[in-house]
Amino acid sequence: MTEPATRAKQQEMAQQLEKLRPQLLKYATLQLRNAAWAEDAVSETLLAALERPQSFAGQSQLKTWLIGILKHKLVDQIRRNSKEMSSTAEDGQELDDELFHPDGHWRETPQDWGDPEHCLRQADFFAVLEACVDKLPGVQGRLFMMREWLELDTEEICKELSISPTNLWVMLHRARLRLRDCLQIGWFAGAQA
Amino acid sequence: MKLMKTCREVTGLTLQSLDRNLLWRERLAVRLHMAICSACPKFARQAQFMRSAMGRWKGYSEQDKL
Repeated sequence: MTEPATRAKQQEMAQQLEKLRPQLLKYATLQLRNAAWAEDAVSETLLAALERPQSFAGQSQLKTWLIGILKHKLVDQIRRNSKEMSSTAEDGQELDDELFHPDGHWRETPQDWGDPEHCLRQADFFAVLEACVDKLPGVQGRLFMMREWLELDTEEICKELSISPTNLWVMLHRARLRLRDCLQIGWFAGAQA
Repeated sequence: MKLMKTCREVTGLTLQSLDRNLLWRERLAVRLHMAICSACPKFARQAQFMRSAMGRWKGYSEQDKL
């Protein structure tokens, strides 16, 4: 016995979810770097939302609520697939050698990137940032995003994935050096010219 | 642990400081190095820059501008 009013409400909710789905998918894909996992995490999120219909003051409030659920689903998804993640061998040991002389000095002094606020106001900058994050190798990228996007602390990440803190720091270290290199080439080198 | 560290070691600690609280002796060593090095403070600013940029990007994505 579904009341017409409830039914109308459910329909409206379904339409709104449909509209927000592409944004959620993008969010999930950036974090998981795997289309199938992202699809699963978003589907789980939307199902959870449909099971607990609530009223929202608007689309953006609904989106905030969905992202809150999605974050948990993303962590679940990463945990479920963690075996696959840790078995991937990835390079990166040579990064430090490219940056430093054997005696530990910089080969090339890091450039002054200037006032962050200046870049952070430019939409183009975020396109470059996204491309650079996208280029990070799978595991490094996922760990980096768990830390920076999901804002899990390193203890949580280690616990979720059963990896050692040292292992995690090595991976984050490499991810950040790569990201820095990519931003330097893709944004700052050009911006200076 | 030796007090004077190389740029390579300080770079590693600078990145780790984004994820954990450094030990006092590590903090001291970093501070001493930064006082005499012109390159590492620039790297530290780049690292902070990346942290801010990620935070801002995340904020945009969670709101409307994805």
